[in-house]
Amino acid sequence: MLQVENTLFTLVMLLYFAAMALYFAFIAVKKDGVARVAVGLQAAGLLLHTAALVCRGVGAGRLPLTNQYEFATSFAWGLCLVSLAFVIRFRFPVLGAFASPVTFLIIGYAAMQSKEVKNLMPALRSNWLGFHVSTAIIAYGAFGVSFVLGVIFLLRDRMRARGFMDQHIPGREKLDVIAYRSVSLGLLFLTFTIITGAIWAERAWGSYWSWDPKETWSLVTWIIYSAYLHLRIRRGWQGRAAAIFAVIGFVCVVFTYIGVNTLLPGVHSYA
Amino acid sequence: MRGGVASPHRFKRIYKFIGSMRFAIILLVALALACSIGSLVTQGQTYDWYAQRYSERAAALIVALRLDDAFHSAWFIIITAFLCLNLTLCNLTRLPRLIGRTRAEGRPEGALESAGDVSREGVADPKAAFTRLRMPGPVACKTADGREALFASKHRAGLWGAWVCHLGILLLILGFGLGQMTQAQYTVYGVPGDEKPIGDTGYTLKIEDFAVERRDDDSVAQYTAQISVSGDDARRDAEISVNNPARLFGMKFYQNSVGWATRVNVLENGKPLQSAVICAGEFLPVEDKPELVVYLNAFYPDYAMVPGVGPSSASEKLNNPAWLYSVYYQGQLLGMNALMAGEELTIDAYTVTFTDPQNYTLIQIKRDRFTWLALAGGLITMLGLLLAFYIQPAKIWAIREPDGRWTLRGACKKGGAIFKEQFDRACGLGNEE
Ligand code: HEM
Repeated sequence: MLQVENTLFTLVMLLYFAAMALYFAFIAVKKDGVARVAVGLQAAGLLLHTAALVCRGVGAGRLPLTNQYEFATSFAWGLCLVSLAFVIRFRFPVLGAFASPVTFLIIGYAAMQSKEVKNLMPALRSNWLGFHVSTAIIAYGAFGVSFVLGVIFLLRDRMRARGFMDQHIPGREKLDVIAYRSVSLGLLFLTFTIITGAIWAERAWGSYWSWDPKETWSLVTWIIYSAYLHLRIRRGWQGRAAAIFAVIGFVCVVFTYIGVNTLLPGVHSYA
Repeated sequence: MRGGVASPHRFKRIYKFIGSMRFAIILLVALALACSIGSLVTQGQTYDWYAQRYSERAAALIVALRLDDAFHSAWFIIITAFLCLNLTLCNLTRLPRLIGRTRAEGRPEGALESAGDVSREGVADPKAAFTRLRMPGPVACKTADGREALFASKHRAGLWGAWVCHLGILLLILGFGLGQMTQAQYTVYGVPGDEKPIGDTGYTLKIEDFAVERRDDDSVAQYTAQISVSGDDARRDAEISVNNPARLFGMKFYQNSVGWATRVNVLENGKPLQSAVICAGEFLPVEDKPELVVYLNAFYPDYAMVPGVGPSSASEKLNNPAWLYSVYYQGQLLGMNALMAGEELTIDAYTVTFTDPQNYTLIQIKRDRFTWLALAGGLITMLGLLLAFYIQPAKIWAIREPDGRWTLRGACKKGGAIFKEQFDRACGLGNEE
């Protein structure tokens, strides 16, 4: 099973790379047909990626969500899923062009991690952990999309001169609404992640919140995005300022995910 | 006199500010900064530790500002308290308006006279557009000047999203805070057969059995303890393992960790004097000479001397057991050494041996009467977010013009540009039919 996963994983990387290249080609040659192929490749990559994760789950006999490699590949999967959904839902292939390098970067990071399947220490054997990490993947994927949207928003004014971009990037107002949709999706799932994590911690350690650095940073991320929501409601802050917050929020997400494990001590350092 | 007039005014302004969204944003940013400081500065160290790690100056600052215990410091609690006050005021002042709006949004009166966010004239079949916009059966009504009209509204519950979310956060903070202030925590450790008091609760905990379940590769799969708790003339039994605590007598029992215990046998002039089980880190005073004390520093089931690391255990299997001990006389350290299996230690007339190494279990006992409140707060917050994000209040109305066609209008604040697109599509299709 793990052998199969390995092969699939390589294929997934190739497909994601091809999708990214075609998205770039779409921007270069400005043909809608190219964008359609790129979306198709991304969808095929996502399908195989799902299969790879299932293989690993079956091979390891548990949810594939417990070490740095598994979480990185799942994170890439989440970002690919959410970005694909947004590309299709809002007919927005330019989003795909900006999201695919981020997805590729994360799966590249996954490829550099150890793929060894390790046995779980007893505290990690919990259904709540499954909920906790799967909701985190969707949340992180959605925040990844809001980050990309924030970047597009901030770059939009520069790209204005070109008619093609004008046609393929929604107006400021719509872009803002799409970004709002992705942040709200992310925040909803992050809230779920934090609650299920607290329930799990309560069962495993007897304390549902202990200011462990990873907990603290997920709270910081949560606070940043709720500040984003309130800023957005205030007149004049919609758009640019909100976009900057969406970018800062994702920096916190990445720090929570990678920085905390490597730079700060805590219970989560094994994950 | 002037002061007397100005101050209620000023008071009102301060009151308004404290309940405002601007203040909320300031507090949220302050809280985010406070939390990041608390995680970046290592918590709970001494002045000397900080001085060595950073500098004397930084250490002085850290201690003065209580950055060494940021999450329990006065300033952290003050920010949180202001956030609660802010949320309470905001929710209280908005409640009457919210109720009023919820009623108004369900009635056509206000809407029919307004321009709406979107509109389309000359629609032939408004009912089809209502259906396409997934609006429930529109009700027939009349405008103020007597024209025929249709009206439908949906998802008014969404208006309550932010309010419910704010309420949830308040309850969450309240539950957490009350829990922190009133919770009690105890630990009991021992080997099967031990019976010990649980702190000052009046209950006793007996460890009936304890097992470590291992996989083929020697890694631990689960720690399981059978316990019984007595008190109040009652006795209850439970099995606890990691991730599966038990609730008995209002307290929660957790299988927290394990360590090694061993039997210590003391002989005096070759005759058995004393035999007791102690855990690593415990003392045993010699029975008829209590100023002589044996201390078990550590136990290594598979002893190995690793260069650069010192004594350690190669595995958790009892391949090469070693006991690291110290001996004290009248409080003075006489010596420290390691004994291998079968070796003995002689001090004057006494001979000490270590036998029967076994795992002891450490059980954590916790009482927090407010966990449910925090959990309820969390769930209510989730519900609020769901309402705020996914239940978008919308209303559509159509007014019949003199030419028999209809003017369709709609409003959906949350939908923004996307609602406009949906509306245009629905109207376009409604027209073609
Ligand atoms: C941890 C703190 C907070 C969180 C997580 C939070 C969350 C939210 C959410 C999710 C919304 C809905 C936003 C939307 O629908 O786009 C909202 C709206 C709002 N919040 Fe907060 N909030 C917090 C604190 C506060 C505080 C302290 C105030 C005090 C005034 C406040 C005032 C408001 C207002 C006025 C709205 C707009 C409601 C509306 O448009 O219907 N929030 N908040």
